[in-house]
Amino acid sequence: MKKRLSLLLAGVMAISLLAGCGESGNGGSSASKADNKTLKFGCTLFANGSLDPSMETNTAWHCMRAGISESLFKFDDNMVAQPWLAESCDVSADHLTWTIKLKKDVKFSNGTPMTATKVKESLDWVREQGKKDPKREKGATAKKYLEYDAEVTANDAENTIVIKTKTAYLDIKGNLAQPVMAIINVSETKDFDHGIIATGPYALKEFKDNVGMDLVANTNYWDGKVPFENVQVIFMQDAAAKANALKSGQVDVVENISNAADIKTIQDDSNFTVDVAPGVRTGFAYMNFKGVLANKELRKAILTAIDIESICKSKTIGGLYTAGRAILPTSLKYGSEDINKNDPYKYNVEEAKKILDAAGIKDTDNDGFRELNGKNIELNYVSYESRLLNDFSDAHIQYLKEVGIKVVAKYGSSDDQWTKLTTGEYDLNNNNWNTVPTGDPEAFLANWYSKAEGNYCGYSNAEYDKLYEAFMKEMDITKRGDYVKQMQQILVDDAVMIVDGYYNSSMAYSKNVKGVHINPIDFYWITNKIEPAK
Amino acid sequence: MKSKSFFKSNPIFTIFGILGIIIILIAIFAPVITGGVDPTKGNLSDAIMPPSAEHIFGTDKMGRDIFARVIYGARESLVATFLLVAVIFVVGSLLGILAGYFGGAFDAVIMRLADMMMAFPGLVLAIAVAGIMGKGTFNAILAISLVSWPKYARLARSLTMKIRHTDYVAAATVTGSKTGHMLAKYMLPNALPTLVITAATDVGTMMMELSALSFLGFGAMPPTPEWGYMLSEGRNFIQYAPWMMIFPGLAIFITVVVFNMLGDSLRDILDSKSK
Repeated sequence: MKKRLSLLLAGVMAISLLAGCGESGNGGSSASKADNKTLKFGCTLFANGSLDPSMETNTAWHCMRAGISESLFKFDDNMVAQPWLAESCDVSADHLTWTIKLKKDVKFSNGTPMTATKVKESLDWVREQGKKDPKREKGATAKKYLEYDAEVTANDAENTIVIKTKTAYLDIKGNLAQPVMAIINVSETKDFDHGIIATGPYALKEFKDNVGMDLVANTNYWDGKVPFENVQVIFMQDAAAKANALKSGQVDVVENISNAADIKTIQDDSNFTVDVAPGVRTGFAYMNFKGVLANKELRKAILTAIDIESICKSKTIGGLYTAGRAILPTSLKYGSEDINKNDPYKYNVEEAKKILDAAGIKDTDNDGFRELNGKNIELNYVSYESRLLNDFSDAHIQYLKEVGIKVVAKYGSSDDQWTKLTTGEYDLNNNNWNTVPTGDPEAFLANWYSKAEGNYCGYSNAEYDKLYEAFMKEMDITKRGDYVKQMQQILVDDAVMIVDGYYNSSMAYSKNVKGVHINPIDFYWITNKIEPAK
Repeated sequence: MKSKSFFKSNPIFTIFGILGIIIILIAIFAPVITGGVDPTKGNLSDAIMPPSAEHIFGTDKMGRDIFARVIYGARESLVATFLLVAVIFVVGSLLGILAGYFGGAFDAVIMRLADMMMAFPGLVLAIAVAGIMGKGTFNAILAISLVSWPKYARLARSLTMKIRHTDYVAAATVTGSKTGHMLAKYMLPNALPTLVITAATDVGTMMMELSALSFLGFGAMPPTPEWGYMLSEGRNFIQYAPWMMIFPGLAIFITVVVFNMLGDSLRDILDSKSK
């Protein structure tokens, strides 16, 4: 009897606990008083354990996003690379020699002046690291932005560096603006994982695995005042946690609350401001050409069977994505709007079924799913919980079931998804990528160039390759744009990927702070422009 | 007449027995109860709608009917749970009885294995196992089985050892009973009642563990209507669309309580000592 009573009691307690949760939701925002000396910043942890820019893309990004490292150039809101640690940049007529003048009086956080030699050391080091370690080479991609053969010479007297390259770069400024190419005090940094000495407004004090980072103001900062003495970065993996942390006053700023419901509650609350940038990121699912998706009719049917408009407009996705068919976002001027207008795969279930029937992809054993060459089609959909990707994958699976295509969800971590992408263990693999990492879609479009290392889906089209090669050599901006348009059209015609939509980045903050701004490229989170509101 | 008085004298068992049967019937007749609504079918434009006449439990983020998903979820959860309990019951009991009967090296190996498994916190090891083997309901069952069988093995072993050296067992051996006969006629019946009680009270616990694994993303994969996974899907929307968590949560709560009470009352009946 006693046990029964306690069970009942436990039930009552559980219910009252739930009720309590509901009430404490609001009202927390005034709980914390702004401490003008510490900025509390909530963000997703993409790579654990290191901030070494040469290690992998994510560690490099963390380092720059945290306000620790800076690079020679910086993207403005129109995705144009402007001088940052550099003063100016001149190029020879053949685009092979770049003379970069550096800003005067820039110091690293340990007080050492940033000389031309220091910059050369840094640019050489990051490429050396890549050469030494093939694993890094794959991750850090330093050579993607500056070839190993490039020669950097420093002139300390004139405070300039000269970069001589073998291949012509359209505009090296965008490449040097990459977090991977951040300028590090290489000779004095002892611990590259947790003790990077760089030029940013804040320096790392402690890295707590999976928990967060403690930053302190860089007293030697070159570009004006550093408003906070300390920055407490707290890692939070889910959107609801970010929204709740902001509401309860646990943090002052959070980046990318990637959940429609939560960002809505923040937007509706006058205590908070949400800064949204029209994105340069595209959410898209790779189709693996090494598997059953090599069948073009199947791919076309898949695209026709999915209602991309309704998905993006649903309450589940909210305003976080804008639908489209072209791979490059409409915010970039590469003809995406025209492609989207003339979408050859307008949502039509009957049409999709017709395509499948005509291609002989039919359900002959009456199990509700179609077969190809007598074998059941079972697509593996690899995805991970970031920027609503799993929701898109769920929606795709649901739509495809309607036309009799069986898709199995294989969701996992971000690492898991990436590994499966590189090893080819997938049929559909959902991603959200920056399409213009250097201010230009060159690197991104290489993903479908058959000779590129990053061609993870095995797509190969001679015409695309030819256009890509011509595009690589072209230095005229307008002509480059034309090539991109044509390449985009080929990718649509060949039904190469499912485009989820174009992602809008955002940053939300409380009344404790001001000066928070999200940049379209999403490299810069913590800056010295964020300061106490009072 | 006799059966009538049995139910009368055990009202609690009767009530929860009926409730348990109702839950099982709901699972079996899910298509009838939901009126043919497909729990995996939805329309994105109907996503996240509050309970209404059309969708009495509201819709989830894929626009699916939550009522249909909760009802169909009973199938997933019950089948998985019963399968899990059956596996650990059979495997654990068998190994335990054998270990208790034969003793020696066989006993030592099995029991050390069991000790090893028990040294780990159950759910954490299950997460690790599910993480290594990959996600999915089957793997979740396997993972929890791996960490849960020792309980039955230890119980069965101690019950067997209690009678292993009694005179009537020795007498049976002397008169030439074969090993199989000894196990089936003496050892198993002796251990069975206690093991059955343990299994009955375990149903609720195992259901919670499976739901927990699914909630953490190691169990059922979408679009399976599974209660734990539904909770996890609704988690992001707890403030904005609480119905996405309330109904699957209630389903787990009710089912676990019913099967726990049923197990409890079964013990009261079978095991007179603890009354």
